[in-house]
Amino acid sequence: MEKQSLLKVRNLRVEFSTNDGVVEAVKGIDLDLRSNETVAIVGESGSGKSQAMMAIMGLLAANGRASGSASYRGQELIGLGESGLNRIRGSKITMIFQEPMTSLDPLYRIGRQLVEPMVHHRGLAARAARARAIELLELVGIPDPGRRIDSYPHELSGGQRQRVMIAMALANEPDVLIADEPTTALDVTIQAQILTLLADLQSKLGMAIVFITHDLGIVRRFADRVYVMRAGEVVEQDHTGSLFANPSHPYTRMLLAAQPTGRKTPPPPDSPPLLEGRDVNVTFRIGGGWFSRSVDELRAVANASVSLRRGQTIGIVGESGSGKSTLGRALLRLVPSRGTIRFEERDISDADKNHMRPLRKRLQLVFQDPFGSLSPRMTVGQIVTEGLRVHMPKMPAHERDLRASEVLREVGLDPAVANRYPHEFSGGQRQRIAIARAMILKPGVVVLDEPTSALDRSVQKQIVDLLRDLQSAHGLSYLFISHDLAVVRAMADYIIVMRAGRLVEEGPTDAIFDSPREDYTKSLMAAALDGTPFRNTPARA
Amino acid sequence: MSETTLSTALPPAGRSLGQDAWVRLKRNKAAVASAIVLMLLAFAGIVGPYLAPHPYDRIYPQYVRTPASLEAYPRKDAIAPAFMSALERARVQIGEIAVSGTTVRAPISSDAPLDPRIVRYVDRSDLFSNARLEGLDGKALTAGATSGTIVADVHRLRFLFGTDANGRDLLSRILIGIRISLAIGVLASAMSLLLGVAYGAIAGYLGGRIDNVMMRVVDILYSLPFIFFVILLVVFFGRNFVLIFIAIGCTEWLDMARIVRGQTLTLKRQEYVQAAEALGVPDADIVRRHIIPNALGPVVVFVTLLVPKAILLESLLSFLGLGVQEPLTSLGLLIAEGASNMRGAAWLLIYPAVTLTTMLFALNFLGDGLRDALDPKDR
Repeated sequence: MEKQSLLKVRNLRVEFSTNDGVVEAVKGIDLDLRSNETVAIVGESGSGKSQAMMAIMGLLAANGRASGSASYRGQELIGLGESGLNRIRGSKITMIFQEPMTSLDPLYRIGRQLVEPMVHHRGLAARAARARAIELLELVGIPDPGRRIDSYPHELSGGQRQRVMIAMALANEPDVLIADEPTTALDVTIQAQILTLLADLQSKLGMAIVFITHDLGIVRRFADRVYVMRAGEVVEQDHTGSLFANPSHPYTRMLLAAQPTGRKTPPPPDSPPLLEGRDVNVTFRIGGGWFSRSVDELRAVANASVSLRRGQTIGIVGESGSGKSTLGRALLRLVPSRGTIRFEERDISDADKNHMRPLRKRLQLVFQDPFGSLSPRMTVGQIVTEGLRVHMPKMPAHERDLRASEVLREVGLDPAVANRYPHEFSGGQRQRIAIARAMILKPGVVVLDEPTSALDRSVQKQIVDLLRDLQSAHGLSYLFISHDLAVVRAMADYIIVMRAGRLVEEGPTDAIFDSPREDYTKSLMAAALDGTPFRNTPARA
Repeated sequence: MSETTLSTALPPAGRSLGQDAWVRLKRNKAAVASAIVLMLLAFAGIVGPYLAPHPYDRIYPQYVRTPASLEAYPRKDAIAPAFMSALERARVQIGEIAVSGTTVRAPISSDAPLDPRIVRYVDRSDLFSNARLEGLDGKALTAGATSGTIVADVHRLRFLFGTDANGRDLLSRILIGIRISLAIGVLASAMSLLLGVAYGAIAGYLGGRIDNVMMRVVDILYSLPFIFFVILLVVFFGRNFVLIFIAIGCTEWLDMARIVRGQTLTLKRQEYVQAAEALGVPDADIVRRHIIPNALGPVVVFVTLLVPKAILLESLLSFLGLGVQEPLTSLGLLIAEGASNMRGAAWLLIYPAVTLTTMLFALNFLGDGLRDALDPKDR
């Protein structure tokens, strides 16, 4: 029954020597990959799933060291010299990465980037290589490949770039394709397309895929077998069906249960509107300077009207570039806009910085990236109390500290962390700090700009719970911006769907989820929540 | 709700990025060595001139262009002939001349009783002082004795690095040169740091038209030739030590302003700056609390590279006669003098050049080390 193992990993260990001593990233894992099979490695950030694959490819950072064994068709890869590795990687085993924006060289046309490895590795003539490149682009579903081959990477969308990356990986007809979170940076609809493409290619070309991801939803629909990793160890491995049916390890069960659940109780229907925007327009000028008159305008938000009531959560959903973040910021008067914006019955459409300052206390913002939103040179205490220093400059220092420890405790952190710096915390903890910074001022409205997107699923759930608890404790109103429909469903009472700057559809959460009217909404729902597998012929032998 | 309270086992006070960088810097041996060398040089520049045996402006006309040597001048074998020629005029018979340490002695005899005034012949020479007559038994000469010993102190000087074309001790001049060069380097850098960081951060943060105007001013100042600018300053304010570092600072801050502005433009888009704006933090506080501290990494590196640049610019100015004036000197000036005496007196070039090179190497290594230590990508 069992096929010959294509890639056989035994007791693989990866260590990094850092400032604080040796860190063991991978602690002896075993893994088997048979031909024409899809294996998913699932784990949260820091579980060592990427590092294990990097070790196999000989791509560890300079301070990393791999030991153990990883053999490809009997050829040992660990400790193999550079030239030996080069014969295998790039032709037999290839890799695609998470970030399609940075993995293509912006200075060269994609054709050249595709052709060059073929000319080098396989000695193809330039003309033949170009023909092959066009063929590959066609294979990965780039429209009009004959013309597109001469585009620069910036002329392609994120999804197209990821397709080009896949084409590059396929150029030398590999046996094994390692895909390291290939869809994490993409919108849900694009994500579905890429995954379908990968599944198609696999059935056409018959390669084995190692799929690294943190998203169990994808795994269920895509993989034959699953390895669950935690803190450098494989805690469970099984066929996808049986793993999802009866997970044996508590960690796997925790991961499976980590989808944000529950619903928010809607606010009383008579609660007054707190923040209102009517016909909000935001345009950005592109180009133009002292010597050039020609100015292009980009309409980021067009005629959007929003009314946020006290205690309500409005979810704004849309793909990247749909203007959802810009709308949120325009409502807080952080980007210039046209239209009317009212806060607590007051027209703030034309309020300048100084007039807005007293209101800032009541209007807060939490950002997506918990690594970028905390100043790296300030302690947590300084970060959290900064708002108090602005809005209550007369407050004595010890009272500020008291308030800080209160709010840190409220977001689930030990107040002793106030003296430490942000880089010492994990993503989830940092997001808690960012929430504490917004909450210390006791705001009325908080705009949450993708606050959970950069976090692991289990941490997401905690943050969603925290946000809901804070909302009911303080009667907050949220504007919850996200592309993640599962999270929005758990958070919002009302949903706005945006596309290309316009409101496409809006309505109460259940109505939108149960009976979406617009095609666009339907396609969003289908991409995010549909459970059908991407592949119809499971390759289990 | 799940509580993920941090374990209290962690140290209560965190390590800041600065402390992290310090740890990394300490592990960089070249940078640590450079820092030590710089500290020694700074110490030599500050204290050295007081400890040096010769004042830096004292001229010894009899020791012009003496080569560097560990031996004291005049040399032992030069003392006896000099003593001899000084004594010859006394018309006495001179025995064997013995030189020991800083005294020279010779037995003398004469047909007539020795005249005690003959010591003046010896004293007249620059080399000898405190000449006296002694009896053969070592006691004071008895009146009317026809033979005795003439004893004189030799004034012996050490010139470890030799002397220059005017007969000044090179070591002392190098020490004062280190002081002047380092002072100008540090002061000019500090000045350009203050001006450049403030200007660049303000221009970058405010952006738009203000940024445009402010940076065009910088461009205009850039187009002013440096030497022309310095000549203008000298014409208006006269030659002055302070003027040199003002002149250098005034031109170097332009680079700094551009670097800081570039940093600010990227920092401004960081979410923590936007978060501060959303909190309603006033602009001045955002620049002070968020922009400048985070822009400091590359700035610190640039400063360590700016110090050697300022030192070199100062040498150029001094070489052109617009900078430090004699008898005060700087390393650049010493090198310029050394270069013109290169053939006959190589030490005049070698010692100041080695000192300056050491200083510049140390500064550059330290700058490199700082850049590595502060680079967050290395984390």
